[in-house]
Amino acid sequence: MVALLEEQRLDPQRELGELLGQPGGDGAVVSFVGIARRESMRGAGVDELLLEHHPVLTLKSIEEIAVEAAERFDVSRVRVVHRCGRVAAGEPIVFAGAASKHRRAAFEAADYLMDRLKTEAVFWKRETGAEGSAWIEPTEADYADRDRWG
Amino acid sequence: MKILFYGRLADSIGRELELHMAGCSVAELRHRLASDYPDVGAILANRRSRACVGDAVVHDDYVVAAGDTVGFLPPVSGG
Repeated sequence: MVALLEEQRLDPQRELGELLGQPGGDGAVVSFVGIARRESMRGAGVDELLLEHHPVLTLKSIEEIAVEAAERFDVSRVRVVHRCGRVAAGEPIVFAGAASKHRRAAFEAADYLMDRLKTEAVFWKRETGAEGSAWIEPTEADYADRDRWG
Repeated sequence: MKILFYGRLADSIGRELELHMAGCSVAELRHRLASDYPDVGAILANRRSRACVGDAVVHDDYVVAAGDTVGFLPPVSGG
């Protein structure tokens, strides 16, 4: 299990390479990349996303989610890399991936990782763009997605 | 005691505040802050806002000591 907080640039190709490059008996690698949107929910242009974080609790929250994914699903490896700080629109925010013998476990682990990261990773997101700045919180649909895992 | 704020709470209250309320619970601290800063009263009262002491998340019945640093975390969102 790998969980990292990245202050500079997140390179999804490199992160995927880390998952693919490990020897083992895996038959599947599933990865998800979250990208900073260029438009707000209201349709206004967004220039930048700020991901404020806590000096200790943020990494701890990502580690816990990654560990629980690794325990819950039949996966051999889990990798989560999350940006913090200022992210320009169009740039990657998060990489979440899993490797497993068979595809289903890797798909489910990646899905689970993202549902939990959306609602439980300790970040505060603020979009800045054409209409000024606005803090963004998970929607009720995000919480419902997380709750379906029990 | 020192109180730290994050996210939109920090926008309204500031990053840091010094209060002398040792012996009170986190719930009482929330009420006091909500009354002092009504703009963010709803965020402080939100059940998804949490408090931490040092680097551990604590419940509302936690009794705060004079030397504690209490952080108030508005609802979080990653991904």
